[in-house]
Amino acid sequence: MPDAILSVLAAAAPSTTSILLASMGGLINRQGGIVNIGLEPMMLVGAFTAVIVSAQTGNPFLGLLAATASGALLGLLFSWSITRLGANEIVAGLGLNLLVIGFFGYLLPTVFKIEGTLLPAGLVGLPKLRIPLVEQIPGVGPIVSGHDVVTYLSWLSVPLVSLFLYRTPLGIQLRATGANEEAARAAGVPTLRLRDFSTVIAGAFAGLAGAQLSLGVVTLFNKTMTGGRGFIALAAFYFGDARPGLTALGAVIFGVFEAAGFRLGSSGIPSQLVQMLPYLVVVISLTLVAVRRELRLRERGRAAAASLRAAVVR
Amino acid sequence: MSGIVAETGIPVAGQETIAPPRALRLLRPLQLSGPFVIALLVGAVVLFASGRDAIGTYWLLAQQSLGGTTQIANTLVAATPVLLTGLATAVAFRSGIFNVGVEGSLYVGAFAAAWAGFTLKGLAGPLLIVVAVLLAAAAGALWALVPGVLRARWRVDEVVTTLMLNYVAILLTSWLVNYYFLAPDIANSMSPMIAKQARLGSLLPPSQLSIAFLVALLVTGLYAYFFSRTRIGYELRMTGLNPRFARAVGINLAGAVLIAFAISGFLGGVAGGFQILGVNYRFIDHFSPGYGFTGIAVALLGRGHPIGIVLAALFFGALSSGGAMIQLFSDIPLDLINILQGTVMIFAVIELSRLPFVKQWLRHA
Repeated sequence: MPDAILSVLAAAAPSTTSILLASMGGLINRQGGIVNIGLEPMMLVGAFTAVIVSAQTGNPFLGLLAATASGALLGLLFSWSITRLGANEIVAGLGLNLLVIGFFGYLLPTVFKIEGTLLPAGLVGLPKLRIPLVEQIPGVGPIVSGHDVVTYLSWLSVPLVSLFLYRTPLGIQLRATGANEEAARAAGVPTLRLRDFSTVIAGAFAGLAGAQLSLGVVTLFNKTMTGGRGFIALAAFYFGDARPGLTALGAVIFGVFEAAGFRLGSSGIPSQLVQMLPYLVVVISLTLVAVRRELRLRERGRAAAASLRAAVVR
Repeated sequence: MSGIVAETGIPVAGQETIAPPRALRLLRPLQLSGPFVIALLVGAVVLFASGRDAIGTYWLLAQQSLGGTTQIANTLVAATPVLLTGLATAVAFRSGIFNVGVEGSLYVGAFAAAWAGFTLKGLAGPLLIVVAVLLAAAAGALWALVPGVLRARWRVDEVVTTLMLNYVAILLTSWLVNYYFLAPDIANSMSPMIAKQARLGSLLPPSQLSIAFLVALLVTGLYAYFFSRTRIGYELRMTGLNPRFARAVGINLAGAVLIAFAISGFLGGVAGGFQILGVNYRFIDHFSPGYGFTGIAVALLGRGHPIGIVLAALFFGALSSGGAMIQLFSDIPLDLINILQGTVMIFAVIELSRLPFVKQWLRHA
């Protein structure tokens, strides 16, 4: 039994990476005051860019860089539509989803003359990094060693995002912007630029996450390859209440579900129910947060009423 | 606040510039037609860049959606579900509820109608149709009441919950049809056919134009009447425009929220039910190409106005019926329609007057 758990965890590591990275990006965006439902299309653009650049240059690391940049650029455009042009973030995000999925659905058959999978000549995937000594530890070795570089970056991103948000002036200003934009602006914080910045970071993280799918997990591109992971990332940071540690835990849980889901597909648990979980988790997390807030408000209201009554009686 | 938002409560882009009145008169038609024009331009660029004839493609699109009786009938068939989901969305938006979960109501409604259609085979035609549509509406309304109750009771933000529940509904119905209601003669993903007498007859063979379209038009009329002439409609509108004022004059806010969600889900369920009874005749896993999401675009582009909603629904109906034919007659994929629709959605909520070059133009006007 422990063996089975360890092997699921080893399989979960690469399937967690893209969710973890995208959720860290979405979390920064959320802390800056924008709910980014455009993570999914940003991942898809990253996945595509990574494949094209890797195939053209023969260098997968250039693919990663280009994917990050393309995600960041899309994030900037998305952010401008919200912060400068007054667009509603949810409608613009839904529009972006449609636009990007439509774009690749159009592009692949017309320009690349293929229906399903894009596998350009010369495409090079990411190498798996083997950590000497560690890889020989029984059980733990396969979990920690033998992944692509983006996976290790995604692990590193959790403490870095936490440091950024809670220990740097920029991060604190960003959180102030998300908590109360008007107050932050009155205090001299450049709120518009910070919100743009947070969306650019979200785009960069999502772009890199997409690249890990198309160069790390597999080495190809197709238009359905993100498979809702952008929305699962959304679920992770709602689960974690936009805090890095809890969000990472959520991403790992969903990654394990995904890794285990492949295996459970044969053992009889309907895949639809497994896929439903992240979406239900979002609804439940939001409800719990709201209920806690309402109870606290009511408690405060009762206390105020009691003290008022005491004052009147006296 | 912009004039449009103040009139309808629809969260669309307004005109917040301090433009002179003359410029504002120019701006209004721009804001209304801008998203369509920009989307068609984006589509033209995409077509041109991929070596296709943009004008020829649009001409073919127009011909295939409006160029004859059958084509027009097909456009009306395609407009029916998005007219209903557009109205469903607009009811919520005008009541201050950001319900983006109509797709979910559509799915559970469609499933309920299909279930009635293949289970209650003993009922006579008209009765079975009425029962199926009412079941669909009830299922859609109940589905919408989940986020509705959460919002009314605990103030759970409905934007994200309704969005997420769409995917839950799609997967839930997929699970039901694949595990419990699979058609015996077909390998996957489809329920049995509904009874023959449950099918909506064609008003104009060979198209599938049915009474569903007329009902959708009737619902549009009811929508207009509801918001302009009824007490509940007025209360919902007040709740949407200014909740604090609404509460101050004695409107029960939680009740208004529940009613708005219920009506919205009801209409979404009807949209799904009609799609089964009039077009598909069975429930198919993942059958909707996003009717509920298109409904958001329809509500936004129509600015919550009944005539605007009908026009926007016809536009998307023409796009999808024409687009389907284009895919048959040329090598241009139906995905072009998604590009157009996505662009329309983004630019429907962008305040065009804040674009730099428009700002310049307004200053000179």
